[in-house]
Amino acid sequence: MSKKYCEKFNIPKHLQVPLGAVLPANKKENKGMITGNWRTVRPVIDHEACTLCLNCFLFCPDATWHLDEKEEKMVWNADYCKGCLICENECPVDCISAVNELEFKGGVVRLEKPF
Amino acid sequence: MSDVYEITIWARGVVQDMEGRHMTLIMASSADKDGKFVQAWDDYADLPDRVGVPLRKYVRISDEEIEMRYEYENKNPSLVVIMDDTIVKGLNILWGMDKGGVLVVNSKRSPDEILKFIPNKDLLSKIICVDAEEEFSMEGLDFMGSEGGVEVSAVGAGISAVLAGAACHGTDNLTIDSLVAVSANKEGAKAGYESAVVKDL
Repeated sequence: MSKKYCEKFNIPKHLQVPLGAVLPANKKENKGMITGNWRTVRPVIDHEACTLCLNCFLFCPDATWHLDEKEEKMVWNADYCKGCLICENECPVDCISAVNELEFKGGVVRLEKPF
Repeated sequence: MSDVYEITIWARGVVQDMEGRHMTLIMASSADKDGKFVQAWDDYADLPDRVGVPLRKYVRISDEEIEMRYEYENKNPSLVVIMDDTIVKGLNILWGMDKGGVLVVNSKRSPDEILKFIPNKDLLSKIICVDAEEEFSMEGLDFMGSEGGVEVSAVGAGISAVLAGAACHGTDNLTIDSLVAVSANKEGAKAGYESAVVKDL
């Protein structure tokens, strides 16, 4: 916001931020909105075939994929993945496959009530 | 109020919404045919539903008039129906159940495999597994139409009749004869009753 604009409309000092400002989110994960129990199939990644193109990270609507820079592999978050399989569709080398959720013992997101 | 028999149905949002509602309707109308007092409704708390979200549907059956009109949740279900087996991993499905309840699961897996995912399985007296998609394929059916409200001839046309038929093993309040009479998918209801895998615990 320009100085002239701020003076004209009496914008308080703490709201005078430049246009296009990027602010850090106040929370990384919201434990009150766990959506892992919406999932019937889960995406399973083959780390050897993965080329780290980051397509899954870019296209995931729930930000469940991220790159572990130390280990150099993609990490998946079971608590928020809804099993939409957009990542499986977008993967250029087809290293992500869909497997039924009951094939795994882990990844249990057992809520008392849906919401 | 302890003589009111409560049934809770868990379904996946949008994709199984209509089938879940049809199951409440055919269960209620078959018990109504047997001369009982019934209630059947969806849970408003889970709506507006989104694809894959766990939804609850409720049925109440009683020999006397039901006076729980303003309670919109089944606090103490005796029979729980799971329309998609992966829901057992995501939720405490036996919420509020007393010891000696019955669980009906739509699954191609065996009852023992399903029981591995239920930590409070000591509450159950019986588990019934039926592969509803195997008995009645949903391919070719769409989700368009009149929401089941006025189109009485099409209520219970899909897998709901198969699962409700399997649920007849779990309680005396539902009888297979009147269930076949009220549901549109009569072969499915019979097939569900016959092919159900019942395990007493």
